[in-house]
Amino acid sequence: MDLLRAVENSGFGIWVRESGSVWSYPTIIFLHAVGLTFVAGVNAAMDLRLLGFAPRLPVTSMAGLFPVMWVGFWINALSGVALLIADASTMMVSWVFWVKMAAIALAVVNLIVIRRLMFVDVPESGIARDIVPVRVKMLAGTSLLFWTAALTAGRLTAYLGAGALAKGSH
Amino acid sequence: MPWVETFARYLHGTRLSWAVAGGYQWIWPLCETLHFIGMGLLVGIVGVLDLRMLGIGKRLVPGPFERLIPWAIGGFLLNLVTGFLFFTGDPSQYIHNTVFWLKLLFILLAGINALLFYATGIARRVDVLGPGDDAPLSAKVIAATSLALWIGVIYWGRMLPFLGGAF
Repeated sequence: MDLLRAVENSGFGIWVRESGSVWSYPTIIFLHAVGLTFVAGVNAAMDLRLLGFAPRLPVTSMAGLFPVMWVGFWINALSGVALLIADASTMMVSWVFWVKMAAIALAVVNLIVIRRLMFVDVPESGIARDIVPVRVKMLAGTSLLFWTAALTAGRLTAYLGAGALAKGSH
Repeated sequence: MPWVETFARYLHGTRLSWAVAGGYQWIWPLCETLHFIGMGLLVGIVGVLDLRMLGIGKRLVPGPFERLIPWAIGGFLLNLVTGFLFFTGDPSQYIHNTVFWLKLLFILLAGINALLFYATGIARRVDVLGPGDDAPLSAKVIAATSLALWIGVIYWGRMLPFLGGAF
């Protein structure tokens, strides 16, 4: 706990939390929302296709979305670390925060598995892969579930667990 | 705009306003969560189409992808409803907030931009693009405008508590 408090009260932690600068907490939390859109939102679009919506869209033509999702992921990993530093002693003991981390870990592993099964070693035409196996459809479903859980837990860090006590309502 | 004040005062007096503002404590966090889900669906799906037109992920064929647009519209409607509920919860903190009006303005501009995309026939030229085909310049302008406006909407939304003093 002393270590967490030290991290939280580092120059950077104080700047993020207390400087009042638009470039600190407000901008970081904005970037976190943009990153969310590009990792979870774009992944949701891919999941919907795998589940059978937009059936005329060749599945492999979505391969170019992976870099977009990774950019979103890293925006959120970096902005998330900054937010965590600013609130270390609260977040590290918040069970909702750890639910969020677990959901993200599952969502990312899920995405990597889908990539292996549907996008790796695909011939240029990619037509053969347009039939989505049932197990990949199930993975698309769990992907939507994990990202929804991550997003929900992320929102609720301010309302449940240690974060609720720290901030009060809203 | 006096009618805004009148409407705000009316809303604030409703039982719904009381419920959202804390009468039932779970309503606000639930609406926030749904608002983020709607945002992800709307800007995620529209964003993919915009990026494709701008040349990122060019193997994606835009025509068939547009069949996912109803999900983006669904996300928008979800956010319209949850956004209205936030507004109902405490209208006064929004109507006197420049950031809130900027957010609404950006949503309006993004809507007009989307209408232009379909009404000018640019959408029809994008629909027929094959894998790897370059989108016409007019489509790229629309796409860049769309991305900038929607990210702007997210920006103003996030800035409500910081620049405008809401919650």
